[in-house]
Amino acid sequence: MRLALGILTAIGGFLDVGALATAGSAGSRFGLSLVWALLLGTGCIILLLLQVGRLTAVSGRPYAAAIREHFGFKFFLLPLSVELLADSIMLAAELGGVAVALSLLTGISWHLLLPVGPLLVFALVWRGPFRLIENGPALLGLVTLCFVVGAVMVGVSSSSRLPDLLPARLGGSDVPDYLFLAAAILGAVISPYLVYFYSSGAREEHWTSRSLRTNALSAVGGMGFGCLTALAVIALAAMVLRPAHVQTGTLAELGLTLSAPWGRVGAVLFAVSLFVACYAAAVELTLAIPYVVSQGFGWEVGENHLPAQAPRFNLALICFVLVGTAVALIGIDPLQLTLYGSALTAVLLPVSLSPFLVLMNDRDALGRHTNGWLMNAATIGIIALAAVVAIVSLPLLIATGGA
Amino acid sequence: MRRERRSGGPRQVMRDLMDGELRSADGHALGRVDDVAAELGDDGTLRLVDISTGPEALAGRVSSRLRPAARRLLRGRFDARIPLADVEEMGPTIRLRRPAAAYRTGRSDRWVAEHLLRWIPGSGR
Repeated sequence: MRLALGILTAIGGFLDVGALATAGSAGSRFGLSLVWALLLGTGCIILLLLQVGRLTAVSGRPYAAAIREHFGFKFFLLPLSVELLADSIMLAAELGGVAVALSLLTGISWHLLLPVGPLLVFALVWRGPFRLIENGPALLGLVTLCFVVGAVMVGVSSSSRLPDLLPARLGGSDVPDYLFLAAAILGAVISPYLVYFYSSGAREEHWTSRSLRTNALSAVGGMGFGCLTALAVIALAAMVLRPAHVQTGTLAELGLTLSAPWGRVGAVLFAVSLFVACYAAAVELTLAIPYVVSQGFGWEVGENHLPAQAPRFNLALICFVLVGTAVALIGIDPLQLTLYGSALTAVLLPVSLSPFLVLMNDRDALGRHTNGWLMNAATIGIIALAAVVAIVSLPLLIATGGA
Repeated sequence: MRRERRSGGPRQVMRDLMDGELRSADGHALGRVDDVAAELGDDGTLRLVDISTGPEALAGRVSSRLRPAARRLLRGRFDARIPLADVEEMGPTIRLRRPAAAYRTGRSDRWVAEHLLRWIPGSGR
């Protein structure tokens, strides 16, 4: 299971409630014409994970620790507070997604099911060793391949639907929505918590400079997997929802995509996939924050210890689950929450990513494994892209009302 | 990072120590170097005395104006001062000569485990 870290990162970070929702909206409104945003985002996150994996493997320092050690405590407070704020909202959204999935399966109102998600997350992270946390959701996540199979089946069985894949001609009024969705997809795919989680995972797995091949496989394989599934969601939404003029406003409507090839079974498959994707993302977020905090403050870290052996790490974990649950219990629709969470993440992205440029060129820490000029140029490009997304996200969110 | 042993004055050593990770002799993470104290000797030389870790030291790092407020609020209960003589090895990780139980930060970890986490089944306490 060498790919497990990548696949968990992918299912948790890539295929979360935000990615599913934005991919569904993109497909149902604009066919395949927003695929470029998905591919661009995937390319960016792969490059970021490759770098942070290399940083951790070679220097033995996870990203948050490296930021603190290199830039000092005052600077560290910046990415720390950014993560705390954005990830509390994201965790609440994922927990809401878990509740919606369970409500699709049971028929009980999702509001009532909200407390189930945090309990399930806590049950896994409290005592589970890192291996189990990686492999469990990663194996479950294979369920999401049903989107890929479904997309192929719909495409083959009814070739009359293929034209719906073609890009729509954009009318003047569509342009803000189109741009907003492009920014939302980029914001949903390039999530900083993924970067922190991945580098913490590399540390837990004791990567060394001999693990660089594993790093490449995990980053490319894992993100590729996530991208493929998201691509299938776009295609399915284009072929199934677009002709019916359904513009996904709720997660339940997105479920229609799998009902087309498989009927009732498809509805169950969708609910299970939604559950797995949101659950894995919630697990990842729940761990990412205590990792960032503990690494930054130098506390004993670890999922491979008993909770009592890493007390402050586990205390941070409990507090963060409670905060996420409290935000979720306010009762805002998970889709709406994700939208706010992603927009906020996008605005703060340049802050989280700019340390890359310094850390990855530190010869004392990385020796001959520092960035080449190409990787540096690409990183500058990613930060510039993040800045553009950040600048346009908020006005577009206001202009479109989060379409 | 960037913390190889280099010959340099106290200023260089200070920069190397600052924010480094503290590990006890028995391998426990004890926090980070949140501040470094130095004294100015009569002959004008700067001598490092001890390193401190904890919220008060951190508050002082953020702004010197926060320092007295933090001191009044916390009264040193959560900060630990570690004499420079205890430093066994410098580097990105600063190894100390004594086991975790000998330091206050090790004790606060124990307090969290014994008073908070023990109420949750499976904490290993």
